[in-house]
Amino acid sequence: MKSTAPQLAAPEGRRSFSFIDVLVFAGVLGVLWSILEFGKGMVTRFDASSQSLAISTDLSQIPYYAGRTLLRMWIAFGCSLLFTFSVGYAAAKSRIARAFILPFLDIMQSVPVLSFLTITITFFIGLFPGSLLGVECASIFAIFTGQVWNMVFGFYHSMVTIPQDLQEAATNFRLGPLTRFRKLEVPASMHSLIWNSMMSFGGGWFFVSASEAVSVLGKDIKLPGLGSYMATAVGKGDNWGAFWGVVAMLTVIIASDQLIWRPLLVWADRFKIELTESAYTPRSWFYNVLNRAYVFEWFGEHVLIPVAEFYQDLRLRLASRTTTERSRPAKIGPRIWQVVGMILLLALLVEVGFGAMSGFDAIYRHVSVNDIIEIVGLGFVTLGRVFAVTLLATLIWTPIGVWIGSKQRVATFAQPLAQIFASFPVNMVYPLFVGLFVRYQIDMNWGCILLIAMGTQWYILFNVIAGSMAIPNDLKEAAKTYGLRGWPIWKRLILPAIFPFWITGACTAAGGAWNATIVAEVANWGDRHLEATGLGAFIADVSQKADGTPLLICATATMAIFVVVINKLLWRRLYSYAEHRFHLD
Amino acid sequence: MSTELTSPPIPITAEAPTIAELRNVSKSFTVGHGRELKVLDQIDLSIREGELLALLGQSGSGKSTLLRCLTGLTKPTTGRVLSYGEPLEGINPHASIVFQTFALFPWLTVEQNVMVGLEAKRMSRDEKAEAVEKAIDLIGLNNYHSAYPREISGGMRQRVGIARALVSEPKILCLDEAFSALDVLTAEGLREEVVGLWRGGNTLSSVFMVTHNIEEAVEMATRICILFPHPGRLGLILENHLPYPRNSNHPEFQRLMKVIHDTITQQALPDLPPEPPPTPGKPISRARARMESIPTVGVNQILGLISILHDSPDLDNIYDVSDEIGKDFGETIAIVKAGEILEFVNTPKDDVQLTDLGKRFFESDRQTRKTIFAEQVQKLRLFHIILSYLEVQEEVSAETVMHDIAAALPYENPEKILKTMVAWGRYAGLMDFNANTDMVVIPEEEEEEEEA
Repeated sequence: MKSTAPQLAAPEGRRSFSFIDVLVFAGVLGVLWSILEFGKGMVTRFDASSQSLAISTDLSQIPYYAGRTLLRMWIAFGCSLLFTFSVGYAAAKSRIARAFILPFLDIMQSVPVLSFLTITITFFIGLFPGSLLGVECASIFAIFTGQVWNMVFGFYHSMVTIPQDLQEAATNFRLGPLTRFRKLEVPASMHSLIWNSMMSFGGGWFFVSASEAVSVLGKDIKLPGLGSYMATAVGKGDNWGAFWGVVAMLTVIIASDQLIWRPLLVWADRFKIELTESAYTPRSWFYNVLNRAYVFEWFGEHVLIPVAEFYQDLRLRLASRTTTERSRPAKIGPRIWQVVGMILLLALLVEVGFGAMSGFDAIYRHVSVNDIIEIVGLGFVTLGRVFAVTLLATLIWTPIGVWIGSKQRVATFAQPLAQIFASFPVNMVYPLFVGLFVRYQIDMNWGCILLIAMGTQWYILFNVIAGSMAIPNDLKEAAKTYGLRGWPIWKRLILPAIFPFWITGACTAAGGAWNATIVAEVANWGDRHLEATGLGAFIADVSQKADGTPLLICATATMAIFVVVINKLLWRRLYSYAEHRFHLD
Repeated sequence: MSTELTSPPIPITAEAPTIAELRNVSKSFTVGHGRELKVLDQIDLSIREGELLALLGQSGSGKSTLLRCLTGLTKPTTGRVLSYGEPLEGINPHASIVFQTFALFPWLTVEQNVMVGLEAKRMSRDEKAEAVEKAIDLIGLNNYHSAYPREISGGMRQRVGIARALVSEPKILCLDEAFSALDVLTAEGLREEVVGLWRGGNTLSSVFMVTHNIEEAVEMATRICILFPHPGRLGLILENHLPYPRNSNHPEFQRLMKVIHDTITQQALPDLPPEPPPTPGKPISRARARMESIPTVGVNQILGLISILHDSPDLDNIYDVSDEIGKDFGETIAIVKAGEILEFVNTPKDDVQLTDLGKRFFESDRQTRKTIFAEQVQKLRLFHIILSYLEVQEEVSAETVMHDIAAALPYENPEKILKTMVAWGRYAGLMDFNANTDMVVIPEEEEEEEEA
């Protein structure tokens, strides 16, 4: 049979190395060198009790600080990825593991990230005495906890929704566990994994800048980075320094988006499960450049495939040996692992049990009933703020988002822009706003609602844009034909269509708002200290006190309970209602 | 035996060695609320060397489950699966499956997808490349090596599926409705190629195909087994020694088609002696006789059938009806059966006739049609499950109803049955369904009418 589709024929000549490969190679070397260079700074001598690192506000230091911040982000992301693969895989594969992992993730997701920072920093400093590495680890751990849960949930979900026929094909052709993972499970989850990673990474900027300059246990600790640079510049009243700090942060965020995430999204498009060609494909100029490089293909051909083949051969050889030597292999292997697993689990439970007991003991001795009543009361105040933020952002951004989404050309550039705004760590510019509050004597109790909204409103905006873009054209045309206009078209078409998207956005925004309260309800402007009444401010306060740990744990747990309960009572219900009633297609 | 029959590649006798076998296999699935649904009931089936065995059954008869038991994808609840006389552990290494939905990995090229078939083989890279090339060549996929599945047509996709199954040189090729997602012409071409591949020798010994298409089975298979539904159990087994390529006008071909049609018709639409008519005005007791299931067929399809039968009086047999409405035989049977239990049509043997009630129904206006339909629906015992609830209360939860259906019809899917009942009941104006509360309710207009 001759080809009827010449464009599908295999390429004739082999591709070869070009100057793009030289650039890629240089780029890789540059990245490796930077990791070493910035990495050196992470392990310098540092004694938390006596020393405090001076952060320079010299403009020439900005690239170095940006590099340190980036390195922290990527190390945290790498850890998140490892955690995602191992824990998500376990949850998808084992019923027992799932019974533990899913509720655990659900709770961890609700714990405010910055409390993790305060609680773990003493532990990490103790782990690396006399080195800055302890503080670095605490910061990285905070970013990790901000990123990872969402990624694990996404990976788990796509693992369990791999189409049945593909699973059966993999089983029928007897793919081994690793080959199955490599050829079926990872590719099938790739699209959601990259999308979730991008969102998580965007959220991480907030935590990296917040964790670089912390006051913990009565001490001010500053890690070299863009966040601490901004804090220092604002503290000194250096407005130009602050301005360039913001510019540097935006540059780093946009560069990450353009050089890493957009190309990955384009690349991931091939991993969509549907067999139909999709109408809208993402584009990336940098992907097109990289695509011309031969080095990746060469690497796959000469390194990845031989390694995979070697492994496969090894596995099959081992498998054939066990079946020939022992025709009826006794099933001892799995039994041993079960026992080891049980023992480890038991040890973990005992450990957790003791930890919990000593925690309860400390709380029992240091926290009175009145404290708890106060904490819960403050929780309700902050809850009110979170609702106010979500409501205001919805009222303001829904009409704008719907309008943007209806204009294809505006939407294609406005949506990524909203994503970048959502990534920008607004806590860096809080002090500037607090200055305005001081000048115009705005009560912090109301002002902090604006501060919280600055970071979280964008999630609502870009989800509404996505929802508005997803309204099918025939429905819009039908509405136009029947003369629907004004409120009726909103009520009958637009609001139902964007409702599921709005829920995703509002739920993310509310989750972010809880986290933001810890930095938004308290603020300093020079010597002036402004504080709102709320659970966030309470947590920020007690985390600075040397003996505040029991109260901190209580307040953190209270906040987590608030978040879990709201999720269960409100968001989950709304979500399943939307799935049930307003699902298009 | 006529002399014009050429012998198949390997003479098939009852003594031909068995490659794979099911012995007394039953399979149940756990469905909602921990209830067991029996899908396969005591199946004995063996695949012999050199044969092309077709398993014929309607959708939902459990034929795909049977294939999955045979290949080791699912374990039977009771009974044994054998491969070359040995109990099968794990996946059968001698059997490869071709899937209805192709099941190609979208992120792999044609070549890489075919290579997946060799994952479990210990071969060098060059040997694998050679085997892949051979399989691609065999199935006519040249020049498609580096195409991705989403770039090629359905027929080409299924060719990739077949190449992937053949590349590891299996003994049995299992086709799971492999041609039903393709258009008529493409399917016909591929069927011939599969028969050619099987007859062409190589290492492929047998083909086991699962299908609902009667003509496909008669055209391809050397042996045909019919699987009766609810729960799946083996009915008729037929040998087919017609030479290839087979001509559908051959009298033996026609005879086999007729035998299969009659068997299925007789099973689905048995000519039973009429039951004594129920006393008018008195509800039938639920306990009196066996509860009969209803085919899951929409109201519009029943109306369409009545309309076609009315407009073309010369359409009197079920095969012609099947051709006329362009549905496959199983679906046609279901629609006709729905007409029959509503007493709109009558089916002596394989004839389909409009009854007097059916004629009257067709000629009535909308309101009268509704009344007639309601009267007929009320005669069905199954509907008394819902109607007796609605006599004493305003609404009843779907869950309660499904529970009762499950108790009355243990081999049916209660969800589908309820959906059909609601559709019929809505048309008859007897009930309505509130999707928000998941409740079957008394329709509002009905109440108004009664009040008026």
